[in-house]
Amino acid sequence: MNDKIRDKAQQRQSLINDLTENIIDTTATLIDKGCDQELRDKMAAEISERINFEVNVTLNEMVTKYCPQKIREQVTEAEERRFLRFGVNFRIQHVLMFISVIVLIITGIPLKFPEFAISKFIIIDIFGGLDNSSLIHRIGAVGLIIVGLWHVFYSALSKMGRKDFWLMIPRPRDILDFFHTILYFIGRRGSGPKQGRFSFIEKFDYWAVYWGMVIMIGSGIILWYKEYFPKYIYDIAREAHSDEGLLATLAIVIWHFYNVHFNPEVFPGSTVWLHGQLTESEMKHHHPLEYAEIVEAESNEIQAERQTTDPSEENVK
Amino acid sequence: MMKRTIHWLILLGVAAALMPTGDAAALERCLICHQKHDLFKTEETGRKISLYVDKQQLENSVHAERICTDCHIDIVAIPHQKEVNAVNCKRCHYSGNPVGAPEGELYDQYEHSVHGLAVAAGNPTAPVCQDCHGDHDIMLHDSTESKMYRANIPRTCGRCHIDIYSHYRESVHGVESEKGNVDVPVCSSCHGEHNIARHEDPRSRVYVTNVTHTCADCHGPKGVASKYGIKSNRTETFEESFHGVAQQMGNKLVANCASCHGVHDIRSEDDPKSSVYIDNIPKTCGKPECHPEATVRFASGQIHIDPKSKESGIIYYISHFFLILTISTLAGLFIFIIMDLFRRAKSNRAKK
Repeated sequence: MNDKIRDKAQQRQSLINDLTENIIDTTATLIDKGCDQELRDKMAAEISERINFEVNVTLNEMVTKYCPQKIREQVTEAEERRFLRFGVNFRIQHVLMFISVIVLIITGIPLKFPEFAISKFIIIDIFGGLDNSSLIHRIGAVGLIIVGLWHVFYSALSKMGRKDFWLMIPRPRDILDFFHTILYFIGRRGSGPKQGRFSFIEKFDYWAVYWGMVIMIGSGIILWYKEYFPKYIYDIAREAHSDEGLLATLAIVIWHFYNVHFNPEVFPGSTVWLHGQLTESEMKHHHPLEYAEIVEAESNEIQAERQTTDPSEENVK
Repeated sequence: MMKRTIHWLILLGVAAALMPTGDAAALERCLICHQKHDLFKTEETGRKISLYVDKQQLENSVHAERICTDCHIDIVAIPHQKEVNAVNCKRCHYSGNPVGAPEGELYDQYEHSVHGLAVAAGNPTAPVCQDCHGDHDIMLHDSTESKMYRANIPRTCGRCHIDIYSHYRESVHGVESEKGNVDVPVCSSCHGEHNIARHEDPRSRVYVTNVTHTCADCHGPKGVASKYGIKSNRTETFEESFHGVAQQMGNKLVANCASCHGVHDIRSEDDPKSSVYIDNIPKTCGKPECHPEATVRFASGQIHIDPKSKESGIIYYISHFFLILTISTLAGLFIFIIMDLFRRAKSNRAKK
């Protein structure tokens, strides 16, 4: 696919070169006087560059104007650079987490609303009774506990995990960003706040899950081993487990599904959780500060490389 | 013995000659013999059955208008030619009977009840109508002398179910019933009447998954129990508890009202003999089939918890904390989403 596109681009380049030659040839009478070959080449290069630029800009504009979103993405993304946002380790954590959570929700929420026919249908008819659904709930719980511990160790031990955890810590800037976003929503600002690697929304999501994990796993373990606790501790755990379970479910269904499924920008669903990558334009749009950092770091690197290679070049001269 | 029988036959012969005619006369004719207190018949099993008939009692009963042979249809001659059979009430009490005897579904339920089935199976000790309703002394159930009068029912049932009666009589319900309180449940309040079924039978009102609804008749939101300072949310709070949820999901092993409070021996929580008396609760929870690992610590805390009531203490505050947290979070997120969508729509329009 990429090779094809590259071939097409080369073809276009050679066509543009031919066109440039043609233009220069047809105007040879104007240029020839007092114009050496070097200048002539420079002119040709500039003309071809401008044609190329205009063609690209016009193409972009037309595609944006007439083609549906999907085609636009394909056209622009195909040639774009990609940035790794979530590593393999992190993506496996996410998959294990959502499998566990879906299992836990399906076997858990019906018990919050036992009087509903749908709840009875799920527990009695689908799972074949409370004994089975409880067992499956506990299997889901083990999955969630594993992913929780895994994430703690990942955040502490892996390089990317440590870096991300550090960036996840809320800062005063996030509060300003929040108000900035509200002002943008009500039309008082022309654009939203520029975000780094993690926006305040993503930080909220992350810490909401953190809170939920602590509450659900903590209270769940008490419910699991209720015989070792006084009844009032069990009662507190049960109330918290039931209420936080509903809150988490609603938050996932409303908020997380909006952000990653129903939001017009990503509908019917973002695929970042699968490949973990963002395109350059997505980076520029959603994480401009992080993008700037990366680009700056890269240019510093290149400069540093040049500085180390420069002296040798000088020596050669 | 022989001599005595001859005496009787002579007497009967004289009596028959002097017999008055008509309905009243028919009764008088029977009473010639049956007004004697020492008239007995002896069954094959050796059991002596009194054949005495109290005229007064008969005249007070609902059947005052009936003559003896209306019920004892197999008596056609005096002295009786053969063994007299038990009276079959169904001869009159059937749907659509022409003599106006009360009938209805209730009467038909008997055949499918535990008693009716036992009789059909040939159990000689199983009760038929007369065993509960009486024979010559049948009265309407609102009459205080009726065997079916609310306060008399425990004694009526207790004639056969002696063990259960002795437990019931000491229970909080039984004690009140003895005092003539008509609010408390008697046997039939929980078990039903003509439709009594074994407690293992899913049709029974005291079947494991039905018992909560049966108790709820009095201990539910509209129940009479609140009159006595007993909270009326007992069955609601049960249904919200894990036991209640599990039961609604079809689990039959989980505790219901009777598992903790007892069955016939239900006592007030203030009664030291009660299974739910504070010191007895660990033992009640720790039944081998329930929570054998239960300790005194496990059983410490309120049982029927209503998160909506301030009396529940910390549970009330936790439930309210989460209620507020959930509503505010979701409202916030929802508003954020709506604003985001509006802004997107606006920028899209601006681009065009």
